[in-house]
Amino acid sequence: MVDFLIFLEVVLNGLMAGVMYALVALGFVLIFKASGIFNYAQGVMALFAAATLVGLINGQVPFAHMISAITGVKVHHFGWHINAFLAIALTGLVMFALAVVIERYILKHLVNQEPIILFMATIGLAFFMEGFSDLMWGSELKALDVGIPKGIVEPLDEATFNAFGYGMYIDWLDVYATAIAIILVVSLTLFSQYTKTGRALRAVADDHQAALSVGISLRRIWVIVWTIAGIVALVAGIMWGSKSGVQFSLSLIALKALPVLILGGFTSIPGAIVGGLIIGVGEKLFEYSIGPMIGGATENWFAYVLALAFLIFRPQGLFGDKIIERV
Amino acid sequence: MSDTVTPPEALDTLPKLLNWNAVNRKDAPASREKLYGIWQSFTWGDVRDNTRALALGLRDLGLTAGDRVAIIGSNRPRLYWTVPAAQMNGAVPVPVYQDSVAEEMQYVLEHAGARFAVVENQEQVDKVLSVKDRLPELEHVIYVDPRGLRKYDHTHLHNYTDLQEKGRGREGDLGPEIDKIVEAGTYDDTCVMLYTSGTTGKPKGVVLSNRNIITASRSSVEFDGLKASDSVLAYLPMAWVGDFIFASGQAYVAGFSVACPESQDTMLHDLKEIGPSYFFAPPRMFENLLTNVMIRMEDAGRFKRWLFETFMDHAKEVGGDILDGKNVGFGAKLKYALGNLFVYGPLKNSLGMSNVRIGYTAGEAIGPEIFQFYRSLGINLKQLYGQTEASVFVTAQPDGQVRADTVGVPCPGVELKIDDDGKVWYRSPGVFVEYYKQPDKTAETKDAEGWVDTGDAGFIEDGTGHLRIIDRAKDVGKMADGSMFAPKYVENKLKFFPNILEAVVIGSGRDNCVAMLNIDLGSVGNWAERNNIAYASYTELAQHPDVYKQMKSHVDEVNRSVAADDMLSGCQIHRFVVLHKQLDADDGELTRTQKVRRTIINDRYAPIIDAMYGGAAEVFAETPVTYEDGREGKISATLKIEDAAVMDRGMKMAAE
Amino acid sequence: MLDATQQGYTTPDGRKIGGPVMEMKNITLRFGGVTALQDISFDILEGEIRAIIGPNGAGKSSMLNVMNGFYHPQEGEVWFRGAKRGPMKPHAIAHQGIARTFQNIALFKGMSTLDNIMSGRLTKMKAGMLSQAFWFGKAEKEEVEHREAVEKIIDFLEIQAIRKTPVSRLPYGLQKRVELGRALAAEPSLLLLDEPMAGMNVEEKEDMCRFILDVNDEFGTTIALIEHDMGVVMDIADRVVVLDYGKKIGDGLPADVRADQAVIDAYLGVSHD
Repeated sequence: MVDFLIFLEVVLNGLMAGVMYALVALGFVLIFKASGIFNYAQGVMALFAAATLVGLINGQVPFAHMISAITGVKVHHFGWHINAFLAIALTGLVMFALAVVIERYILKHLVNQEPIILFMATIGLAFFMEGFSDLMWGSELKALDVGIPKGIVEPLDEATFNAFGYGMYIDWLDVYATAIAIILVVSLTLFSQYTKTGRALRAVADDHQAALSVGISLRRIWVIVWTIAGIVALVAGIMWGSKSGVQFSLSLIALKALPVLILGGFTSIPGAIVGGLIIGVGEKLFEYSIGPMIGGATENWFAYVLALAFLIFRPQGLFGDKIIERV
Repeated sequence: MSDTVTPPEALDTLPKLLNWNAVNRKDAPASREKLYGIWQSFTWGDVRDNTRALALGLRDLGLTAGDRVAIIGSNRPRLYWTVPAAQMNGAVPVPVYQDSVAEEMQYVLEHAGARFAVVENQEQVDKVLSVKDRLPELEHVIYVDPRGLRKYDHTHLHNYTDLQEKGRGREGDLGPEIDKIVEAGTYDDTCVMLYTSGTTGKPKGVVLSNRNIITASRSSVEFDGLKASDSVLAYLPMAWVGDFIFASGQAYVAGFSVACPESQDTMLHDLKEIGPSYFFAPPRMFENLLTNVMIRMEDAGRFKRWLFETFMDHAKEVGGDILDGKNVGFGAKLKYALGNLFVYGPLKNSLGMSNVRIGYTAGEAIGPEIFQFYRSLGINLKQLYGQTEASVFVTAQPDGQVRADTVGVPCPGVELKIDDDGKVWYRSPGVFVEYYKQPDKTAETKDAEGWVDTGDAGFIEDGTGHLRIIDRAKDVGKMADGSMFAPKYVENKLKFFPNILEAVVIGSGRDNCVAMLNIDLGSVGNWAERNNIAYASYTELAQHPDVYKQMKSHVDEVNRSVAADDMLSGCQIHRFVVLHKQLDADDGELTRTQKVRRTIINDRYAPIIDAMYGGAAEVFAETPVTYEDGREGKISATLKIEDAAVMDRGMKMAAE
Repeated sequence: MLDATQQGYTTPDGRKIGGPVMEMKNITLRFGGVTALQDISFDILEGEIRAIIGPNGAGKSSMLNVMNGFYHPQEGEVWFRGAKRGPMKPHAIAHQGIARTFQNIALFKGMSTLDNIMSGRLTKMKAGMLSQAFWFGKAEKEEVEHREAVEKIIDFLEIQAIRKTPVSRLPYGLQKRVELGRALAAEPSLLLLDEPMAGMNVEEKEDMCRFILDVNDEFGTTIALIEHDMGVVMDIADRVVVLDYGKKIGDGLPADVRADQAVIDAYLGVSHD
């Protein structure tokens, strides 16, 4: 029984990690579907969002270093704290503004360019935003606390311990993160299925010309898509930031999303979710069962090896559009 | 209003029943129609108001007692309302097959002498107008769907809803006239005139009185316990007597609601949405539905297929017994309940048969496998034997006595007899009045005592009293030794195998029988694909040794079952060939309704038949064909002749 | 440029044709050094079915793309409902009441028939982002209203049976019909059809002709259509423009155009000097 509980614990933790991966992958899929762009900057967007959120909550003065360097005035904080919910809403507005700026100053000029050029543009964007984020909010490790409970889920721990002599370890943060991610995904799905803007989003994803012909403005849709991707990044940033602090490494979660995308397919929202879960559970189980035999730390590479296997046997991913090359 | 109260016996016409329903079931749904994607309901109150408005409008146009009103179109509530609306004026409704071509329609309209035609849409208006100059008696055409008709000359053409509007305006002066006519209606008035599609000659107009329709409806409603909360989907032609009984007769008596499909193509979808509790379909329909299921299962994942097969096997074993209320043991019941959860339930739902309480199949013999399939799912499918001339009901299977090979016991009020030639006769209150304007034909079919010749050969089974139909009497012949030769009986058994599309059995006046078979390209082709059997043409596939092997096992099995019947054991097949071409209506080998034309086939395939009787091992055949574009050509091939295993006449069943 | 026909006329079957809906004035369109359209002028009048025909490569599709704003001509003017049109974006032109179909069907492949036609009503929908996001009041009522309009189109085109079918699973002829449905959903005052009959069999062509005539008849929609199959066009068009190698070589009633020597030469492939 204890073995089973441990197994269950590993699977549950894997599932919850998977939800986080899925969340990041979702940001990629949304933008890829609507504009054919592989947005390398998705991870940095999460970092930027999280840093902005921390800055707002703590009443940090933006560009403090720059201001002191130029004017000699040393200001760090305004001296107030903003309520977390208000700060999240404000950060959402910042992500919207970011989307507008990206559309106006980058995408608009790159319409009808090769995908590789758009990809390069997002790499540039990623580096710029990373630097901009540091400049604006500083590069030190910051703690993020928006009031999500942390620590072991005690009732579960106690109950399982009393009953079977083994206390299962599940973190409250993971439970909340999972719940929030599920709410986010469900509302996004409903939005895209049952509203006119959602329908317009799907239309643009399917056929640009036809979308134009029914009166859809591509530029408006791009702003909406990047805003949604920005909000998804914000949610991912909150989750990861609450867990391990806001710092540069947060932007690297984008790399974890890659194997998820390869598994799930670049164009499928269900794919991103299922892919995330498979990788989350897979790497935890692998680490638990095989890890000890080969010296551990398999979580660093398992996802990529799995993705590689997929690339060989099913390059379109689990749910992606089938690629049929006719010769 | 309770679910099962029947209207008083004194109500002897449809308009009287309608008025009763409009009072006693005022707010209960009477008909449904899908309009712009949404089901619209009409209560009995709505139906009465609409019908009355139409009746007044028709009267305003000059409809009087004794006139005939043709009704042409697919199943639409407004066309159904025309039936009582015509009767409220003392006129006779004449539903016409909506897919008949203009010439056929002209014959019926002319023969019936229709003064009015209520039609569905532009297509039907065009058809009627194209023959109008040959229909001097036809005065007014009323259409339901105005689309495309705006620019037509409206001197004799009227919009249905406009006409109703006009009718409502005349309630004051014409209303009392109508009330008087309805009041004066009796059992002896003509209720409806239905033209039989008839395999030979021109269609005949079967005159059915109120007595016929209403007594038949009353007793059948009682027989099956139909109630107001039942529902049906009316999708079979309005001109067919079955539809008339279900959607007008029984619906008016029992008070259940009749839904009309959105269009012919959406029928299966509508069936699923409506989920009728009372359902009728010809065997072909059940066959097609089953084929769809099987194809979907072949494409399904392995687990799903395993689940399906496991539980279907179980259902085949016990499903029928459970339906009949027999005791099958707790374990079997439990497994069946599980199966219901995972397989039968979802399957019935996707077939649109979740709610079916009573289902009927009639018109032709149904394959036992197909019949059992539905019954094993827990769908109470039963067989019915009927005719237009009987107001449908001759025999039906009571619950608990359902079998694939009989058509049941006489319906309430029906007497049966078999004459010396083996022909089936019946007498009942539903027996028709006459063939319109054809007293000679009436006399040929109905004798002075009211007995009607079904034209079918059959026998009443010892012990059970169930009627079994062999074939059309005129198709039953004699073999050289005088024993009965019933080719269609054997052919049907052969055709129940999914990979046999068509079969022709020869043997009239001969010592024994031989058969020519057509493979079903869909089914056999699918099999070939799955087994990696390559073939370049239909002919090559038909002659494949493995195909012959399959066919032989089918023929042997049919022989075994034919031999079980003393009277028919002479009809076992001794030798057979698989034909190199499909029998085709374009080549005159089949009728347009896919029935075999024996004389033409006997003539055209004489060399093959001679070779089979001559004992040859193979035969070279050359047959003319007509291609789809009208060109003509010839198909030739050397056909193998195969011997089949024949049971001894004396020792029936000994082999089993 | 004004001539007698611009005041309207009556067709042989008795339909009243009104004043100009769209006027193309001396349109020249170049791609790099290639001239796709050269100095082309013609008009489309209220309520008529106007065909643009010509052999392959005559510039018909380019013309249509100019009309709905995919291309902007280097020279010339497009007048719509009496006003000169500036360089507008295609989606803005859609909002002016111009809908179109494409030669190589451009449906939203991931959507059902219903959703495709619903998306044709985007220009008619007013609910703001926020009320949509929370699906309240106005947005919901709007969905229901538009669904009704779409159902009428589904009924009109007789495609009830494929309402919920993903369009990628439909046969070619039906896809074309859905695309027409999507264009109709916008209740356009000018409908542009790019080879609506291309790739169809005879029966499908007959159906499509009937629908085009019915649209014009029932909704009074002005229709401009491109075809290279002359026979079909002559049956349904009121007036015909003929293009060849980017130039206008004929314009008039079908019978006159058919008899025109330059048109016959173009179709028979007589060489250009």
